[in-house]
Amino acid sequence: MRNFAVLLLKEETALFSSPIAYVVMTVFLLIMGYSFTLTLFLSHQPSLVHIFFQMFVLFMLTVPLITMRLLAEERKLRTLEVLLTAPVSEIEIVLAKFVASMSLLALMLLLSGAYAVVLVLFGDPDLGPIYSGYLGLMLFGAALVAAGLLASALTANQIVAALVSLSLFLLLWIIDNFGWLLPSPFDALVTNLSLSVHFRPFAVGSVYLSDVGFFLSVALLMLLLSVRALARR
Amino acid sequence: MSVAASSIVLAQHVSKWYGPRRAVTDVSFSIEPGEIVGLLGPNGSGKSTIFRILCGYLAPSAGTVAVAGYDVIADSLNVRRAISYVPEDAPLYDHMRVDEFLRFMARIKGLRGAASVRAVEAAAARLDLSGVMTMPTGKLSRGFRQRVSIAQALLGDPKLLVLDEPTSGLDPHQVIAVRDLIRSLAGRHTVLIASHVLPEIEKIATRVMILLDGKLLTTDALKGGREHPTLRLRAAGPEATIRAAVNSVAGVRSVAAEPTGEGSAQPAELPHSYLIEAERRSSLAPEMIAALAGHGIAVSELTEAAPDLERVFLDLTRQPVQAAA
Repeated sequence: MRNFAVLLLKEETALFSSPIAYVVMTVFLLIMGYSFTLTLFLSHQPSLVHIFFQMFVLFMLTVPLITMRLLAEERKLRTLEVLLTAPVSEIEIVLAKFVASMSLLALMLLLSGAYAVVLVLFGDPDLGPIYSGYLGLMLFGAALVAAGLLASALTANQIVAALVSLSLFLLLWIIDNFGWLLPSPFDALVTNLSLSVHFRPFAVGSVYLSDVGFFLSVALLMLLLSVRALARR
Repeated sequence: MSVAASSIVLAQHVSKWYGPRRAVTDVSFSIEPGEIVGLLGPNGSGKSTIFRILCGYLAPSAGTVAVAGYDVIADSLNVRRAISYVPEDAPLYDHMRVDEFLRFMARIKGLRGAASVRAVEAAAARLDLSGVMTMPTGKLSRGFRQRVSIAQALLGDPKLLVLDEPTSGLDPHQVIAVRDLIRSLAGRHTVLIASHVLPEIEKIATRVMILLDGKLLTTDALKGGREHPTLRLRAAGPEATIRAAVNSVAGVRSVAAEPTGEGSAQPAELPHSYLIEAERRSSLAPEMIAALAGHGIAVSELTEAAPDLERVFLDLTRQPVQAAA
């Protein structure tokens, strides 16, 4: 892993020298800021629960934009040939891209922390759900970024990568709505694949090990498959 | 897992399929340290596929390849430490400046700190990149992109340099500079260079392999020329006398009048050209001059003709067509 730091620096430079990072951050903060202000003035409740659910949806829409170029662009521009013929391992390449993308999500969440600061300064919010909400969003984001990375590893076309990951996220968002139609034990199985079922407790202040495990397992599985996809010659 | 002895590259029965299409068929060759080997073949003949297999970017569908004693599949990382690759069309990270790109490549090749700075400066000086070091690689001309790509390949002092069409897109001055650079690498590095431009390979390589439709037609196209050199003789006198004098020298295999393109109307008193194929011996030329002088023939020129790679290439690439017809 001695090249991880070098590759991470390269990925961070690529990410923050591209306009996508700034557009995504700006859109995210504008929509969330508008929603936070509006809800606060209407409900007068010092809570971020509704913001977390909106961020949950917005993450599903923006993460494909962040991850689509990660490997698809390298494949298309043939810089992957330069990278994979240098003495770096596929694990280092995938992890560097994953951590760089997560840093953008972390920055977005950090900036959105201004809402929590406003609530603390001018109200008396329950901090538990705020902490758990941010933890849930980071875990959820990790699963999405890893899945987006896998989609990007499988194609040289960025649009295809974005559409594949977006379709997957939307399917896994609403899949619990169809679970009850299936016979046991498939109903429970399908319902437990739902992203919203596993995220909901975080947003309202409950942290279950099963939900943490779900998002971590998805992230690890997707990263593993990305490494396999990259190692496939 | 070390698998080979002295050869820097040892490819045995390598084949590669892309789906149903076979790109490389049962290719075997070896390269010794310090050689500059040219891989000549038309576009689409499988040169880049072979290079990608050597560098560990593609896995062979069949056969084995060892580079610097390491298997390209089982010891891919060690292979990639020993090899530097310049892909065709010089793909670069367009958002990086030239100095950033070279520093990045130096670091992932294991160079750190002062060693990295020194290596980048040396490579930049060697490829004359000092004027563009702060420019984004995306803004460079094709020639400079190619030079940056070659510069990154020199970083880390690789045992084997693999260059895929390194002079494509360069102007004549740059072509000469790159050619001189590659020649200067001989001995310290082993170089494998692919080109579809025949004179280019002829000027750089010490050994030439010819590839056609994924099949290696020869691993040393110039071998015949080295073992049995062709001498060009210009001498005035009766042709029969000249032939008799030349044939009297030991080791001469054939004598042929060189076509002049002016028909057979040239007078006999003017010097004519002959191409003589003979076994290589140091005393061949003095003996031949003495034999001709003994027959009263004045010699105006006796030189070793450059090996005619074009003829070898055409002969080899025509064979399968004739066989199929």
